[in-house]
Amino acid sequence: MNSEKRQTMGPAAVLGLFDSADALLHAIPKVREGKLGRLETYTPYPIHGLDEALQLRRSPLAGMVVVMAFLGAIVALAMQGWMSAVDYPVITGGKAPFSWQAFVPIMFELMVLFATFTAGLGMLFLLNRLPFFGHPVLSSRAIRGITRDRFALSVEAEGGSLDPEAATALLSAAGAKDIEVLSLPARAEILDSAFILRALGGIVVACVVAGGLMFAAIKLFPVLPPMSHMQEQAKLNPYKPSTFFKDGHGMQYPVPGTVARGYLPMGPRTPEEANGLVNPLPRTRENLERGREAYTNRCAVCHGPLGDGVPTLTAAYNAKPANFVSEEFRKAPDGRYYWAIVMGKNAMPSQAADMPEEDRWAAIHYVRVLQRAQNAKDSDLEETKP
Amino acid sequence: MSLNAKRLWGVTLLGLAGILAVYFVAGPARFWLNWVLWFVFLLTLALGSLFMVALEHLVSSRWSVPIRRIPERLSTLLLPLVPVGMIALGAVPVLYPGARPEALANKLLAGKAFWLGLPFFSLRVALCFLAWLLALSVLVRGSLRQDESRDPQFNVRARRFAPLAMVFFGLGITVVAFDWISGLEPEWYSDIFGIYLFAGAFLSALSGTLLMVLHLQGRGRLPEVRRDHLYNLGGFIFAFTVFWSYIGFAQYMLMWYADLPEEVVWYQKRTQGGWLAVVILMGLLHFVIPFFALLTRDAKQAGRRLHWVAWSMLAAHLLDLYWLIFPVLMPNPVLSWPELSFALFFLGGAFLWVHRVRELGADLPVGDAFLKQGLEFRL
Repeated sequence: MNSEKRQTMGPAAVLGLFDSADALLHAIPKVREGKLGRLETYTPYPIHGLDEALQLRRSPLAGMVVVMAFLGAIVALAMQGWMSAVDYPVITGGKAPFSWQAFVPIMFELMVLFATFTAGLGMLFLLNRLPFFGHPVLSSRAIRGITRDRFALSVEAEGGSLDPEAATALLSAAGAKDIEVLSLPARAEILDSAFILRALGGIVVACVVAGGLMFAAIKLFPVLPPMSHMQEQAKLNPYKPSTFFKDGHGMQYPVPGTVARGYLPMGPRTPEEANGLVNPLPRTRENLERGREAYTNRCAVCHGPLGDGVPTLTAAYNAKPANFVSEEFRKAPDGRYYWAIVMGKNAMPSQAADMPEEDRWAAIHYVRVLQRAQNAKDSDLEETKP
Repeated sequence: MSLNAKRLWGVTLLGLAGILAVYFVAGPARFWLNWVLWFVFLLTLALGSLFMVALEHLVSSRWSVPIRRIPERLSTLLLPLVPVGMIALGAVPVLYPGARPEALANKLLAGKAFWLGLPFFSLRVALCFLAWLLALSVLVRGSLRQDESRDPQFNVRARRFAPLAMVFFGLGITVVAFDWISGLEPEWYSDIFGIYLFAGAFLSALSGTLLMVLHLQGRGRLPEVRRDHLYNLGGFIFAFTVFWSYIGFAQYMLMWYADLPEEVVWYQKRTQGGWLAVVILMGLLHFVIPFFALLTRDAKQAGRRLHWVAWSMLAAHLLDLYWLIFPVLMPNPVLSWPELSFALFFLGGAFLWVHRVRELGADLPVGDAFLKQGLEFRL
């Protein structure tokens, strides 16, 4: 740092020391009468009555904190109201989307958050002028006494001008000892290139260290005992042994006779019995749409999108899928299709596990649509004539 | 209005005639509702004062030594409350479903029948009063004796006893809340309820203390109590209005969220019809108004403002208890001659007692060696 620069500023303050808090309190009115500048005191501990003696104005911080606190509450209310009632309304627990009761905790949190940030940052940046690190007292001879057992009163420059001789005379008349004239360190010299480099370097090092610690924490923490509950839960895992059940297995067979929803077991026991089945689904537009979806997903790969037995896969395998539009299949009863879906046929595996009951019958309806589409009669066209 | 003993006797006796008429004209249920309301109100004031005294000894607080005599005097309200509490036991078979023979038929209540029944109920009341009177005797009588004896050993004894007094207080006020208030609807339960009542009790004791300090200062007594002491009392009231609403809302929100039938009916009863207006009024009187009235630093030291805030705080606590107790039988808030008679009787009686104990001991605990430190207290 450049030491010549430091001396370029004029005197910032004249500071004198007192031996007791009482002496300081008595001196303040005398010095204040001189009206040479702003008065400031530096003491080793807080002293009752100093605020009144210095006639300090009330800090504006309280007002700022109140305003920001209510702003925080309003922001929280608006944010939650907009999110849960306007932008993405989801009914939760049967409550109305705009339920103020649910918003109160967050309103309280944001109120406290805004208030504390305002108090902390406002104090540091607005009132303590944070980016300005220097203070004339820090480089004074008096600083040792102030932090130990002496009480300082200083007359500080207000608006840039201070008469050091007059202030010295006034302080010594008020009983101050060890009077010294202090100058303000220049504001700019703090932010020279060396400082900025050092600061940036410090930040980089801090980031690397913090990142490393964070990485280690994330890697290690979840498995260390107090944090490991997510991994060690008192629950049954599939394919893991368990002492809970008698047979020692974690996963249990369903109770005999259990039927999954939508998968009722088939009634008929032989293909002949199945032939007697009647499609229980009404032939509505919805059911035909459903049948098209089920057919396209499960059947069309082999039986072809048109139902003509021409697979969409290249015929690289040796099976011959049934041609539904053929004479034989057009005359086949619904039950024959049903039996094949549930039991499989030749190379075709059972589709029962993947097609719920209603999908099977809907697909059969759709097959009938395909058959009719491939074997349309003239009368079908008549109806569409304008 | 000056506290005139003769006038107060007149008011109390008028109220007595009124409440007797309530029993025979308006019916026992109305009578007991009012009786329980005023019993719990004055009991929380007395217990809160005892808590303030015990708290000072427990934490060796020095700033509050100069005003300690005030909560000590207020806590003697426990003595006249012993017969009031005994009489209140008459309400148990009338108002408290758990103590009635039908309770055994109700599966939910049958399991609690022993606890809710009159014999054990009475035993709890007696045990509570014994514990509180013991605390009163050790802490308050000991402090009054110290005025003469100047015995510094009292402070040691009081500090050793204070933790036990806190246990008496904590368990006692929970029992009061569970027995006398939530016992009215024994299917309903909330474990935070004792703390809710504690918040109201401490607030009313702080307000009572503040009012009595201001009252005495108005007559030129207690000149040693400074704005700094008033500031602390005001700050406590400010803090505990927030505490009260925090607890009250926490209880409400959990029940609102969970929506369990046996829990929400309690709130449903208390937010329907005219009771909704009471809830809103209570929110204003118990939280919003005192919060903003005491927000600034100056407000907590201004006698005038503290004066009306303390009065409204006491009124809010009474309103709170009214809202807790009365909806049990009343689908809408009632305020008629029965309630006014009870107000005359109990307020007259309470003021009569306060009028008497106003002269109890010196205004400052002059025998306490820490008094000097307390008087030197500055913010």
